[in-house]
Amino acid sequence: MPKKGLLGLSFPVSIGIVVIFLVLAAINFVSGSLGKSLFGNVGLPSWLSVSPPHLELPSETVLHIFGFPITNTIIGAWLTIIVLVGFTYAVSSRLRLIPRRWQALLEFMLGALLSFCQSVAGEKKGRTFFPIIATIFLFVVFNAWLSLLPGFGSIIVHTAEGEVPLLRGANTDVNLPLALAAVSFVFVEYFGIKSLGLRYLTKFLNVGRFIGSIAQLFKGRFKAGLGGLFSGIIDIFVGVLETLSELIRIVSFTFRLFGVSTAGEILILVGIFLGIRGLIEFFYGLEIIFGLVQAVVFSGLTLVFVTVATAGHGAEKESHGATHGG
Amino acid sequence: MDVEAVKMLAAGLAMGLGALGPGIGIGILGYGAMQAIGRNPEASGSITTNMILSIAFCEAIGIYALIVAIILAMVA
Repeated sequence: MPKKGLLGLSFPVSIGIVVIFLVLAAINFVSGSLGKSLFGNVGLPSWLSVSPPHLELPSETVLHIFGFPITNTIIGAWLTIIVLVGFTYAVSSRLRLIPRRWQALLEFMLGALLSFCQSVAGEKKGRTFFPIIATIFLFVVFNAWLSLLPGFGSIIVHTAEGEVPLLRGANTDVNLPLALAAVSFVFVEYFGIKSLGLRYLTKFLNVGRFIGSIAQLFKGRFKAGLGGLFSGIIDIFVGVLETLSELIRIVSFTFRLFGVSTAGEILILVGIFLGIRGLIEFFYGLEIIFGLVQAVVFSGLTLVFVTVATAGHGAEKESHGATHGG
Repeated sequence: MDVEAVKMLAAGLAMGLGALGPGIGIGILGYGAMQAIGRNPEASGSITTNMILSIAFCEAIGIYALIVAIILAMVA
């Protein structure tokens, strides 16, 4: 007979959790800035009062190694790398035929990513694109999730610039999303040229019909030549738009990931300062979902663009079917 | 007018007006998704996944407005 309880926990435990949550929310409300204006100085110990959050968009330098400034977001990114590489190395060094817990988790993650790639790009191409797409996804999602651990933003070191947090989520530094967007751009162009040859570049510089129509004018066919001239000019214009759209894609990728991560960080910091912790718990949980969704969007969009780039004109219907089904 | 005052005003306007579009857009997405789930509850998993993906794009536009507001308020 199943035990009666709330979400799998027994009643006393769940009531205890709710009580602890309410006590923490009340303490934060009283010691935050809302509570200070309502109740005045109640006389709480100084370590409970939250100072106004010092929000800085550029990441702060923590130390210098051989003249290179090491920022706190670099430390955060390296933490992610150590966690990912260490986890996969420790699991894959002892593989069994019937997997135990951690191996099953790793197999689940990689299997889900591979089936996602193959559902959008098809079987063979999905397997080709899988390494980069999976790397982008895992890097972004673990950056976002590890930045929610306690210690990120609260461990303070004293540097020349003042008091600076030691660890900061790597997605909040605009350089990292910019680097990932550049990698994704080069990845799409490289696979476009590799699979379609240099004819892929005629998507951007579409002067074929224009030159053909001028040749027709010289041969004397004026009506067809003039019609082709106008179509040729429209083709060139569309080519310029395609180039612009590829470049704008880099900016859009960067600011989407950077904006969501920074906005989440600022929201939680300001919320704790105001003293509305009870409400911020909900947003803290929402950060987990946002990190996952942004990773899916980044890697999924890269996958869709590289599928469209390698599809060419004939197979476009097939790739459209794949993207709509996937 | 005072430069600081105009900066604050601009930051508020940027975020406020910039959140109108994405808000309405996400509402329309949710409306379509609810209707689709109501008609075909079996497909609710696939519908929810696609809805969350579309909402991420819509929200990115609002985030662009937030970045402009943050830059106006803090950096400029």
